Amino acid sequence: MNTIIIDGLSFALPLLIIAIGGIYSERSGITNLALEGLLGFGAFSGGLFVAATAGVFAPTSQVPLYLSFLVAAGGGALFSILHAVLCIKFRADQVISGVVVNIVSIALTGFFTSTINAAVFGQASNKFMLSTSPRLTIPLISKIPLLGAVFTNFYPFEVIILVLVALCWYLLYRTRYGLHLRAAGDNPQALDAAGIDVARVRFKAVLMSGALSGVGGMCFAYSISTNFSPAIYFGSGYLAIAALIFGNWKIMPTFAACLIFGFARSAAYQLVLALNADASVADLAMITPYVITLLLLAFFAKTNRSPRALGELYDKSKR
Amino acid sequence: MSEVIGVIGAGGKARPDSAAESDVILELRHVTKRFPGVVANDDVSLSVRRGEIFALLGENGAGKSTLASMVFGMYEPDEGQLFVRGTETRITSPAEAVALNIGMVHQHFKLVSNYTVAENIVLGDEPLRRVAGVLPWLDMRGAEQRIADLSARYGLEVDPCAVIENLGVSAQQRVEILKMLYRDSEILIFDEPTAMLTPQEIEHLLNIMRNLRREGKTVILITHKLDEIKQVATRCAVLARGKLVDVLEVADTTTAKLAAKMVGYDLALTIEKKSAALDNAPTVLQVDHLTVEDDNKFPVVNDVSFRVRAGEIFAVAGVAGNGQTQLADAIAGLAAVKSGAISLDGVDLTQMTVRQRARAGIAYIPEDRHGMGLILDLPLLQNLGLKSYFHHPFSQRGILQTEAFEHHARRLIDDYDIRAGQGPRTLTRQMSGGNQQKAIVAREVELDSRLLIFVQPTRGLDIGATMAIRRRILDQRDSGKAILLISLELDEVLALADTIGVMYGGRMQKIAPAATMDRYQVGEYMMGARASTSASASTSTNASISPNTPATSAAPATSAAPEASAAPAEVQAGTGTQQG
Repeated sequence: MNTIIIDGLSFALPLLIIAIGGIYSERSGITNLALEGLLGFGAFSGGLFVAATAGVFAPTSQVPLYLSFLVAAGGGALFSILHAVLCIKFRADQVISGVVVNIVSIALTGFFTSTINAAVFGQASNKFMLSTSPRLTIPLISKIPLLGAVFTNFYPFEVIILVLVALCWYLLYRTRYGLHLRAAGDNPQALDAAGIDVARVRFKAVLMSGALSGVGGMCFAYSISTNFSPAIYFGSGYLAIAALIFGNWKIMPTFAACLIFGFARSAAYQLVLALNADASVADLAMITPYVITLLLLAFFAKTNRSPRALGELYDKSKR
Repeated sequence: MSEVIGVIGAGGKARPDSAAESDVILELRHVTKRFPGVVANDDVSLSVRRGEIFALLGENGAGKSTLASMVFGMYEPDEGQLFVRGTETRITSPAEAVALNIGMVHQHFKLVSNYTVAENIVLGDEPLRRVAGVLPWLDMRGAEQRIADLSARYGLEVDPCAVIENLGVSAQQRVEILKMLYRDSEILIFDEPTAMLTPQEIEHLLNIMRNLRREGKTVILITHKLDEIKQVATRCAVLARGKLVDVLEVADTTTAKLAAKMVGYDLALTIEKKSAALDNAPTVLQVDHLTVEDDNKFPVVNDVSFRVRAGEIFAVAGVAGNGQTQLADAIAGLAAVKSGAISLDGVDLTQMTVRQRARAGIAYIPEDRHGMGLILDLPLLQNLGLKSYFHHPFSQRGILQTEAFEHHARRLIDDYDIRAGQGPRTLTRQMSGGNQQKAIVAREVELDSRLLIFVQPTRGLDIGATMAIRRRILDQRDSGKAILLISLELDEVLALADTIGVMYGGRMQKIAPAATMDRYQVGEYMMGARASTSASASTSTNASISPNTPATSAAPATSAAPEASAAPAEVQAGTGTQQG
């Protein structure tokens, strides 16, 4: 049971920060199917940073680990400029742009990883090795039955994410920028009439989604494989989109959705272990979060309301 | 070029001597604005004085909205100058206009639907407080207090904490007014503010404008409703085809004179209407306990019953969104019926498809002429054949007969005075709104159906086209057709109806002969102010849901508006005909 909670959280929280990235973009009115590509590019950036600085820091230093999250955020934000420029400047179809970003991300990171490995590090590999992330346990509290599992064996990034979530909530709901962002997704004309530059607000929102996705991608790189490889593209970006839709484009309900997905996944995994089933059955069991996604969306999609101007091109002259 | 002062006096009157009155706050000199293919404003010069209510009157496309949009910085003039408080100014964006204390209430409100009133008002100018001395935090409570104060001072009656999507049109409009007041606007521009309001709401709005004036604000009112100008405006500029026709002192003029200036010739604003002899007329359309639900299982049409007889215009009045559209769709077969029955000449239609109903005798002129009435990218001749293309002579052995379409189109173009640049081959999109609507009416009338359903038939049309369509509706009635007219324009309902039904919240609140109801009574039912059972003035006809209580007919609650009757009665038919 403890394992389910521990693994569930370590999956749910990165998923949440990616989903919040999606919320930022979509609440501002830009459909963002590019989360998958953004998180991959962010993880690639972080991985490259760790590989490139391997000799700079002491082997036991934790500094590159923390810095890699910053670099991943930067990389994700940088790559999201592609989506922002396509959607806002060139007024491309936002769905198509998102898909393009995903495809480009997979191709680019795969190419660069292999090339850089061959040219700089002199080895044929499509991976950047990362150091193993430490795991923390809080004494005493972790001894509480069941609830203690939350404080047991967690990754440092889980704490970072929780702090980020609080900041994101504050920014979205309690600041001027947040008010502008949410208005841009409901009625951009109203925002424009209030003298605010809609394109600018949206551009920042997409950058924000890139940065948050990058952090989430880096977390997965540490927790799932301890390296950066194309395996980072396992669909978590799409799952994050499902979570934010299920969460009605709001941060707290999306948190709940991510927890459900995380626990469903870890529970399925434990079930497979307990049954000692073979690999093909295990693969089948691992689709549980996605099956749950389908079922939940089927039931809740009707009551949920997407941002009114989501996916709409904003045309100043349209009145 | 004459001096500006000369233009101000173009009405033939000397300028008032009082210095306070001639304190000019806004002045346009020789302003011209061109759009591809049109000159929206052609050498317009006028000035607005501080503290007056200045009306801009004109038909659709006369250029009044463009003129106001330039003052609000949405467009820049191609030629000419703009003076604000005596200083020449270039206003290149709405934000700059706001900085100059100019505000505008647009026809389509610019409100964020899931925000509160206060959030909408502060948007772009948000008050902040610091949490723990550093963290910026939106200070909504302070804003709400200030908004509540402003609301009370100007009689706006708006709750700052209400969420926009729960408010009606009138309340949303008052939020827009508060937005301007919150930014200390001194010049307030209203673009067609009464198009969507009930008579009572219009009264309220006009009172607010008087309050604004009393508090020293300057109001620019864009409208084509003459009686509103007569009620509140001090001066009125009349525009026609982009040119300034005249600036008149409202107190010295009549609505008839204003109307003549507006259209350029004396216009008969009344329509001759013979009273219908309905006592023995057979029932054509019978609707019994009809209920229609929307996607959320909400009964948008709720237990509605009425009948329309041959030679009768049954007009449904109501504020937008009270189930009128769904009622028309259900009768035409476009919306699923939850319960109840619809019959035509005694034949039950409830289970029939749209085409079966059309062939049984229903013609439908829908509200959304671009979305449902026409296929804009097809030539006119095909649009005119949309309801008949599948049978002889338009189709023979499954092959469309172009000749027949062409012949049919030529005849309709002549008979119905449809103006199309390239005749039957004109692309429908290139035609004007009035001619598009005439085309739809022509197509549907030609079906020679027993029942014609008109939904908002004159929306957005100018007076000429409006009159043509209304005459056509009356002709059809006089030839014994049953007419179901659904209109948001109360003037239209009052001008045409033999029987009025008022819908509110999906229910038919009231059914009564048109002669027994005045506009204020209808207005009260439109707002749901009266229960369907009280004060029924009808004793005989059509009252299948209201019991026949004797005519008590209490004095209208809003008769505290004496100016309303100041407008000559003959103008009523034509003054409220257009929405932009």
